[in-house]
Amino acid sequence: MSRRNYTLADEGSATAVLLGAVLARLPSSSKRAWNALVYSSAYLSLIAMAEVVVVSVLLSLPPSPAAIVVGLIVFAVYTNDRLADADTDAVSNPEQAAFVKRHRDVLYVSASVAYGLAVALSVLGGPVALAITLFPGALWVCYATDWIPGTGAHVRRLKDVFLVNTTVVALAWAVTLTFLPLAFADDVVTTPTLVVFAYFFLRVFTNTEIPNVRDVEGDRAIGVLTIPVVVGVDRTRWILLGIDCGTAALVVLAVHAGCVPAQLALALLAGIAYSIGVTSLLGRSENARLLAKAAECEYLVVFLVVALIVVFI
Amino acid sequence: MVFVPILSGVLLVTIAIGTAAALIAWRERPEPGAVPLVVLLAGQCWWSAFLIFDLEAATLGAKVFWANLRWIGVVTIPVGWALFSLEYTGRDRYVRPRYVVLLSLVPLLTVVFALTGNPLLYTDSTLVVEDGLSLLDRSPGPWFWVITAYTYLLGLLGSVPLLGLIWNDSLPFRGQSAALLVGIMAPWASNVLFLMDAVPLPGLDPTPVAFSISGVAYLGALTRFRLFGMSPSPNPRARRLLFERMPDGAIVTDGHDHIVDSNETGAALLGTEPRCALGRPLREVVPDESLVPTDGSVSEQRLFRSPHDDRLYDVTATRITDIHDRTIGHVITFHDVSEHVRQQQRHEVLNRVFRHNIRTETNVISSYADLLADEESQGVADEITASASRIDELATKARETIELFEQGREPADPVSLASLLDDGIATVRERYPAARIERERDLDDIYVAIVLEPVFENLIENGVEHNAGSEPSVRIEVEPDGDWVRVRIADDGPGIDDYERSPLERGTETPLEHGSGLGLWLAKWGAELAGGSVTFGANEPSGSVVTVEVPVLTPSGASGHRSTERPSDDQ
Repeated sequence: MSRRNYTLADEGSATAVLLGAVLARLPSSSKRAWNALVYSSAYLSLIAMAEVVVVSVLLSLPPSPAAIVVGLIVFAVYTNDRLADADTDAVSNPEQAAFVKRHRDVLYVSASVAYGLAVALSVLGGPVALAITLFPGALWVCYATDWIPGTGAHVRRLKDVFLVNTTVVALAWAVTLTFLPLAFADDVVTTPTLVVFAYFFLRVFTNTEIPNVRDVEGDRAIGVLTIPVVVGVDRTRWILLGIDCGTAALVVLAVHAGCVPAQLALALLAGIAYSIGVTSLLGRSENARLLAKAAECEYLVVFLVVALIVVFI
Repeated sequence: MVFVPILSGVLLVTIAIGTAAALIAWRERPEPGAVPLVVLLAGQCWWSAFLIFDLEAATLGAKVFWANLRWIGVVTIPVGWALFSLEYTGRDRYVRPRYVVLLSLVPLLTVVFALTGNPLLYTDSTLVVEDGLSLLDRSPGPWFWVITAYTYLLGLLGSVPLLGLIWNDSLPFRGQSAALLVGIMAPWASNVLFLMDAVPLPGLDPTPVAFSISGVAYLGALTRFRLFGMSPSPNPRARRLLFERMPDGAIVTDGHDHIVDSNETGAALLGTEPRCALGRPLREVVPDESLVPTDGSVSEQRLFRSPHDDRLYDVTATRITDIHDRTIGHVITFHDVSEHVRQQQRHEVLNRVFRHNIRTETNVISSYADLLADEESQGVADEITASASRIDELATKARETIELFEQGREPADPVSLASLLDDGIATVRERYPAARIERERDLDDIYVAIVLEPVFENLIENGVEHNAGSEPSVRIEVEPDGDWVRVRIADDGPGIDDYERSPLERGTETPLEHGSGLGLWLAKWGAELAGGSVTFGANEPSGSVVTVEVPVLTPSGASGHRSTERPSDDQ
């Protein structure tokens, strides 16, 4: 399940020039580590772990291996996704595609070991945690591959189905982020849990569609239907801004209903405000790759605000 | 109670390795065996995970629930193993949906019995405490032993084809099969210990612990021995394909001379089809007694003319024996020799023509030329006689060529190189008494193929006959080189013209580019039939050097071998 990711080192932008200059001053080992972090989706694992911490704080859950499990799952699933799409990414993201192709075997084995570790650790959380851990993997098979095991039959992969693609990605993220820490804590699903689930579902939905704006021509050419392809960039911006506002309303309502503490809601609203800023630049900024990357950093904003709130309040 | 965290830790490692190995195997689809291996590994992980849940559960009901669900993983493993083995070793014709369903019937029934708490599987379940550890103690019912026996049967069924690969010539296949067998043997052994009550905690089946060894073994087979990168699965089909598509007819009979297998060609030359011939006595299909193997003690060869296609076959009956060397059947092969026989007939007729008819006619021409000769026409008559003589020589060489190829069909007959050269020298000296021919001595221990006899004779003669000098000279040098020998025949004549040499080196003649006779061709063909070659060079100050390079043979009656590897030029 792919939130499409673009690197800060993408060619043809001022950021790329700046980053290239910075990287040129670093030792080669640091450059390799940076490339591995960015191209292999390891940085997404770190963001995902931060999101689990936010969920745990929002739901007042005790520390657990859930964050590590989610980090491992994200690494495994996104690495596999990049491997599966290495050929098509060669046009839109040549540096990443080249990195993935060069380290194909190592990445696949690393992703397999990561998922193995995630599954093993999830057993500590009980059968529900195990099921939640297996859920993104199973969904990814339906999402990114067009093969049904045992039959040899080929069906249209979910990745190519309009709206279903984004919904599946958002669902997988929201389920894993929300319910895995809950399963580890052996806690029950409450209204705050559903609010957190809805929040992450809507956030991921938005962040998944933002990169599609840049790829609108390419997607149209290969017949992949995304919101920008179907309704155009301007309308997409308005739809995503509407989702942002809807999410903000959900948070306000949750605070009003006592489902989310007001201080923590500030962190969520800060993240939404940040997202509105990014979304409003869709179709207006020349650097769409940077916008996509900036959208992913929304969770880091939320994490930092939550951390500040927990420490100082 | 320290035992539980250690056990859980080992089981977690098992799950991690098993899942990683399953994902790596998943990537290898559709390589034969990849999907069943994923199924097997998933079963192992399932069993291990649900054992952890069982250990963590506190109540009898919870433990029974997890233990019952565990059966899904337990019964998946042998099915996955058997299917993997069948696919991986190229027996994928048995991995069809109907066979898979058939194979899964007993496991499915077991899962149903487990999930419904049927007493056929377990008659009683109680909670026991061993060393502070709460364990489930279950009394097996009759079906437990059925599924146990079935599991072991499938384990054995899957291991047999892999055991065959242990002795395979290919090192990777040996490594793969050894790793796979370790993978299945480890949990198998621990399960045997559990069933024999030979484990420290009687209520705890340690099989999933051994899955950690299995996981490492499978992972090793996948990565170290490239399990799906190099697969023996084509082998059985390749053998079958070879049998079915071979140009020769082939029929397999059992010990009672009933036809048990046949390829299309074999059945066609007997005027039937494979499916009609199978199961019928050979005598009934072929009313030719000579075809039926008699004593079965040796491979036999005989000729058979098929009444259905009127072609002649060389029939070979080869024994099929069991491990006690008892004959259990025959493979009867039919090699079409019609063309060969026709060629032989052509050779025989041509041989007679060259040997008898042409010689007779040239003698007649020479005799009449002598009769018609007088003082004025003596020169013309001599020319006619010489021409007739050249025709006779050409016929002799043509006959020698035919004989050479006939000899080439026979196994190489070793003969002393010294005697071959001496015979050639003697023959040429008889025709050209003035010629000076020298050869090296001490060649008694060098043996070569007898087909070289006309080669040397022609090359020596060639060195003399084209030399217009009063004392033509030929020198023969022999240079042994390991298992090969080079024979250089050097003369001081005019040398070999390019127009003679080029067609020989090219291997073809055209109407515009061709040699003038048969002698040099005969030398080339003879050397090649002996497993060697001929090269032509110039001699200093004049003449030519022809080098014959052939393998040295071991004389009859002596042990040894013949090398066909040519020595390098720098030697």
